[in-house]
Amino acid sequence: MLQGLLKRFTGQKNSKEEAKKRLQFSLIYDKLEVNDTTLTDLQNDIVDVISKYFEIDRDSLELKVKRDDDVSALVFNTPILHVKRKQA
Amino acid sequence: MEGKIIVVTSGKGGVGKTTATSSIGAALALEGKRVAIVDMDIGLRNLDVVMGLENRIVFNIVDVVQGRCKIDQAAIRDRRIDNLFLIPASQSDNKDVLTTSGVERVCNDLRKKFDYVLMDSPAGIEKGFQNSIVGANEALVVCTPDVSAVRDADRVIGLLYARSLEPRLIVNRIEPSRVERGEMLSHEDVMEVLSIELAGLVPMDEKVLISSNTGTPLVLQNESKAGQAFRRIAKRLNGETDVPIEIPTHKTSMWNKISKTFGLK
Ligand SMILES: Nc1ncnc2c1ncn2[C@@H]1O[C@H](COP(=O)(O)OP(=O)(O)OP(=O)(O)O)[C@@H](O)[C@H]1O
Ligand SMILES: [Mg+2]
Repeated sequence: MLQGLLKRFTGQKNSKEEAKKRLQFSLIYDKLEVNDTTLTDLQNDIVDVISKYFEIDRDSLELKVKRDDDVSALVFNTPILHVKRKQA
Repeated sequence: MEGKIIVVTSGKGGVGKTTATSSIGAALALEGKRVAIVDMDIGLRNLDVVMGLENRIVFNIVDVVQGRCKIDQAAIRDRRIDNLFLIPASQSDNKDVLTTSGVERVCNDLRKKFDYVLMDSPAGIEKGFQNSIVGANEALVVCTPDVSAVRDADRVIGLLYARSLEPRLIVNRIEPSRVERGEMLSHEDVMEVLSIELAGLVPMDEKVLISSNTGTPLVLQNESKAGQAFRRIAKRLNGETDVPIEIPTHKTSMWNKISKTFGLK
């Protein structure tokens, strides 16, 4: 508590908070990076699911890991060619 | 009944594996168990000097694995603590000289002779590490509260899980005053990031260097906070699950608070 007050007065950021954030981020990123085949498998699975509903351009899609200060996200980008007719 | 092999490992170097192995091993022997400590850091042996047994080496673990001697010939008996033995590493061999199958075979023999066998793993995740974990029934991962050590610990934990070992964590070199000031990750932060079970918390302690200077067991020093922390870790490993995990505190800070309250400062 005292620490929190001190921080507010001095405007100083706790270095351990930064350490923790960087750690949490790098651990997630390490795991995504380690396994390239996982990413490819994931991409194929996503394509299969989306293809049930949309006709997509398999060649121009991209799957990326986006890193930001606070969050890391999986970004999947694909142009949709046609909406498929729902099959009964 | 067969004994247990416990590997002490970390990924990152210099975080306290050798200190932890020698201290927990000595503490388990003080609990009345028959204990062997094995230095798996081939080519860079250290346990012998930390334990003050460097003058008594005849054979080493490479000799045992390669069949040049028996386990009993290589195991050096500690004269200060009953039932404590060291099997040293070799200093001259290449670090990759041991085969995994050879180590596994010796581990099976060791389990028959001792209640606990502690393997002091080298840093890294290469062959020396693989050889250290091949015969293990349990694993202790040591890390210090800093970004690189925790990240390496995470990597090693993943590798241990892949071998069906459920590691427990020792956070070493905790400096309570810096944790209090928000300059150092707390053990809660580390636990949250790694999400594994805790084996114990060990404070930064000047006595560690002094005890390794003189080659005397840290756990025999009653004033050593780190030594006492390792003794509690050993008790819990040995089944005394009611021994609490103590969180290192900054003693003088408590005193400061009291003195401040009473206007003494
Ligand atoms: N709790 C502690 N308090 C103070 N110093 C410590 C503590 N733990 C370890 N040290 C010191 O840190 C240094 C490294 O410790 P140690 O040799 O046990 O690490 P290690 O993980 O075995 O290293 P390596 O990876 O090189 O084998 C030593 O000088 C030791 O005295
Ligand atoms: Mg060591």
